[in-house]
Amino acid sequence: MRSARKRAILGKVIVYLLLIIIAAAMITPFLWMFSAAIKSDREVFKMNPFVFIPKVPKWSNYLDIWTRIPFAKFVENTVFLTIVVTILQLLTSSFAAYSFAKLRFRYRNGLFLAYIATIAMPWQVYMVPQFILMRKMGLNDKLLAIICLQAFSAFGVFLMKQFYESIPDDLCEAARIDGLSEYQIYRKIMLPLSKPALATLIIFTFVNTWNDYLGPLIYLKTQEKKTIQLGLKMFISQYSSDYGLIMAGSMLSLIPVLIVFLCFQNYFVEGVANTGLKG
Amino acid sequence: MKKRIISLMMSAVLASMLAGCAAAAPAPAPAPAAEPAAEEAAAPEEAPAAEETAEADAGEPVTLKWAIWDESTTQYWGDIKAAYEAKNPNVKIEMVDLGSQDYMTVLATELSGSGSDFDVVTIKDVPGYATLVQKNAIIPLDDYISADGVDLSKYAGATDQVVVDGKLYELPFRNDFWVLFYNKDIFDAAGVDYPTNDMTWDEYDALARKVTDTSFGSQIYGAHYHTWRSTVQLCAVLDGKHTILDGNYDFMKPTYEMVLNQEKDGVCRKYTDLKTEGLHYSAAFSGGDVAMLNMGSWFIATMMTNLASGEYDPSLCGNWGIVKYPHAEGVEPGSTLGTITGLSVTTACDTPDAAWDFVKWVSGEEGAAVMASSGNFPAIMTDEVKAAITSLEGFPTDDASKEALNVSNLYLEVPYAANVSEINSILDSYHGSIMTGEMSIDEGIDAMNKEVSALQ
Amino acid sequence: MEKMTGISNSGQIEELQNALTQTIEKARHETDDRVKRKLFVQIENYNSRIDKLRSGRLISRQTRRNLVAYSFIAPNFIGFCVFTLIPIVFAFALAFMKWDGSNPISFEGFGNFGRLWSDTFFKAALKNTIIYCIGTVPLTMVASLALAIILNQKVFGRGIFRTLAFFPYVASLVAITSVWKLLFHPSKGPVNNILYTFFHVPQEELPQWFSGSLVVVSMILFSVWKYMGYYMVIYLAGLQGIPGELYEAAALDGAGTWNQFRYITWPQLSSTTFFVVVMLTINCFKIYDVAVMLAGGGSGELTVSATVLVYYIYQKAFIDWDLGYSSAIAMVLFLMVLVVTIIQFRGQARKEAA
Repeated sequence: MRSARKRAILGKVIVYLLLIIIAAAMITPFLWMFSAAIKSDREVFKMNPFVFIPKVPKWSNYLDIWTRIPFAKFVENTVFLTIVVTILQLLTSSFAAYSFAKLRFRYRNGLFLAYIATIAMPWQVYMVPQFILMRKMGLNDKLLAIICLQAFSAFGVFLMKQFYESIPDDLCEAARIDGLSEYQIYRKIMLPLSKPALATLIIFTFVNTWNDYLGPLIYLKTQEKKTIQLGLKMFISQYSSDYGLIMAGSMLSLIPVLIVFLCFQNYFVEGVANTGLKG
Repeated sequence: MKKRIISLMMSAVLASMLAGCAAAAPAPAPAPAAEPAAEEAAAPEEAPAAEETAEADAGEPVTLKWAIWDESTTQYWGDIKAAYEAKNPNVKIEMVDLGSQDYMTVLATELSGSGSDFDVVTIKDVPGYATLVQKNAIIPLDDYISADGVDLSKYAGATDQVVVDGKLYELPFRNDFWVLFYNKDIFDAAGVDYPTNDMTWDEYDALARKVTDTSFGSQIYGAHYHTWRSTVQLCAVLDGKHTILDGNYDFMKPTYEMVLNQEKDGVCRKYTDLKTEGLHYSAAFSGGDVAMLNMGSWFIATMMTNLASGEYDPSLCGNWGIVKYPHAEGVEPGSTLGTITGLSVTTACDTPDAAWDFVKWVSGEEGAAVMASSGNFPAIMTDEVKAAITSLEGFPTDDASKEALNVSNLYLEVPYAANVSEINSILDSYHGSIMTGEMSIDEGIDAMNKEVSALQ
Repeated sequence: MEKMTGISNSGQIEELQNALTQTIEKARHETDDRVKRKLFVQIENYNSRIDKLRSGRLISRQTRRNLVAYSFIAPNFIGFCVFTLIPIVFAFALAFMKWDGSNPISFEGFGNFGRLWSDTFFKAALKNTIIYCIGTVPLTMVASLALAIILNQKVFGRGIFRTLAFFPYVASLVAITSVWKLLFHPSKGPVNNILYTFFHVPQEELPQWFSGSLVVVSMILFSVWKYMGYYMVIYLAGLQGIPGELYEAAALDGAGTWNQFRYITWPQLSSTTFFVVVMLTINCFKIYDVAVMLAGGGSGELTVSATVLVYYIYQKAFIDWDLGYSSAIAMVLFLMVLVVTIIQFRGQARKEAA
């Protein structure tokens, strides 16, 4: 009996040790980033002794970044893009997914196969033809290009469809018998039920759009249209040795995503579990 | 059979798409083949009147969209625009900043196919120029040049090296050449004589080693090589016998040996460090621990502006000078590399005459004066231009620095060749492999030889 | 005549309606799901027939239903079709063409594919991509599974740990790679500094994290760190689907932690693991930005030891303007992904059959 308890305690200790090590590995780069962002360039690499917060913290780095590059403009563009893309993605995918999950119609399987097939298709495979096409449509160097690029992903439809399929059909049938139209069923029954899936989709879309680099790199050329990621990369290549500033900029770019994630994370595991993302 | 059907279907889809695209695009882009002929017919009649039209048509406003880079940190773009607009009130120049990082890539993307709305584009390097010419994105200027009687000899042969099949597609307005920047304070502190305008590579190497201080915490680097391929490979072509298009690169070996030995002995910063940090050469030199830096003359203007604005700390790099590029044994001092920056008129431009007038003006004497006023080197180098630059506030005052501007032989970094873009990619890649130590010098050079000759 | 139809119609309708009410009644009391579903189909059938007879409308109920369904799909599908499907078809066609984006296209047949085998850079890119996959997939899988198992237990601060583990996934690559590059800076970075000070690794032998053969290792380490939180969530979801009774029964039988894992957790998670492996592999094939940002330096150029397929696709397309060839490389990438996907479908089918 005693040895069993001992073993249980030992087990706990190991588990916590592991957890602490992993958590440390996860968080160290962020802490280091935070610390470097308030240091001067000379202090950044100083190791012996390492100080987490320097005696004279250079909070001014957080202010300087706004004047060195048009950071405010980048933030504005990114916020605009992310919000529009997320809303469009949510609406159109949940709409289409409802149809795929709950309605029977001609060519349903064929159409859905088209979606599935493109999920496995890396974007890079068709980015060139896509670019040529978009430019013909006059979308080059327009924020709208990124919206078109991101807002209609097959992934969103797939994710929402998987979730809707986990909602019993009887619910819809009952509603139909009660005389609700399909649009009403979608709005009054499905949408309120799909909060976890929507939250999951919000996190994915938000994170993807906010952090996208290659898309904006190809489509957005002029300074006034650039996003935070492009701006940050530009800043890094121009002021390569202003480590403090680079870290401050990076820090700022993380905050909105973290906020969104923290807001929706409660639904997240549930969302993943019910959307069949686990297989 | 099946395959054929599939491929047929694909071609059909593609063809219909393209047809759709072509129909959707507005008419102004004529078939490339017809272009030169139409140009020939039209140019002689119109072009002589171009100067008059520019002024006479004052009522008819023209907007020219011009592709540039780094508007905020480069002064002359704005200067040129202001000066040209003041002279031609009906023309509005609209600058579009594509950033310097991937400028030529972005530009080529912009100009592929039809549908671009750029009128005038700045050409940053020859590989990018080759791409645009091959894509029919820019038009030959020969008819305009002969009609307006532009004297190409002003450009001291630079234009000859970018002629494509007998046609010239750009006019240079800036002509930079490579010099050696040095930090006088470092030499003073070490009690070593300054570099001179007549140094062989061996003398340069010895000098770099002399000023180097490897003691931890107060490191002084005798030399600095930016991560570009040019900073190492191009030292080797200055004997005038080799070019970067040779297909056999054995001649680069001594230079690689020199640089890698310097790196090993702590004379210069490690390539891998530079690559990791992405350290910019300006940051390295203005940090005050680099004694000598081989770099293009564009950096002169950067130094002057940034020291004046307080961006660079004068106590670290305020006391600087330039000398001529080191030279190979038995070669005349003053042989150096040139990099031209040119302007081209796009195929998509619907007001080519106005665009040409702008190109002609910027690359002509008046444009040169504007360039020189901010310490930049125009493509037309005259003694007056040199005098104007050397007398600018902030230019090093010693005689050697003034003398350094006299170039005896100028070799283009990369002359034009049909597959110069591919050669460039190959050399870039193996330069990285050699410098990071992934390959030995011999392996790297062998690989370059093999890959480049496989292209032909 | 008209009247006749009217009468026979109303008779038919009544008949159908009776049948309908009966079926609905039956459906209400039916407990077997399969039978129930069949009944629903019948109900629908009756409904549509009645509807058709009653209204004599031109558009049948089914057509109307199709239209409603399409109206749901349309907003997404139109965008999807224009911006994804058409370019994909275009990309397939391009692989057999020669085009520089401006001049007329010419047909190339399989020439582009023939060039691949003698292309050193392509082979290097393919090799690096595969090595990266082989390194990243198992490591990420093991790490995320371990983390999920730990975090599925009742440990103190579980919520906080879960959130922390997800941070790297959420963080932008540009920002986070810049930190990694400073942390692993070959001569100044804290990591090498620790190796030097505490493990007395001589200065010349300090690892050059971002060049040579170590590049791929750095890329793997970074990817595991960044993406394990994401796969952890998927595993967590899988773990929560395992019935608790299984463990209770096993505990009664005296099975230890390891045996519980071996005989319950692992088999129960097989479908999750399958999904994770496939997703991981596909995402690994697509690697681009990690390589460019970790190993690319200021100019973003990759040497032979760091180049990956997507980078080469990008370079061939947007720098060398060899669009046909670039598409051919993309097709190779697509084929690799396709093979993995087919394996997944096969595996799932087998699982469902079992």
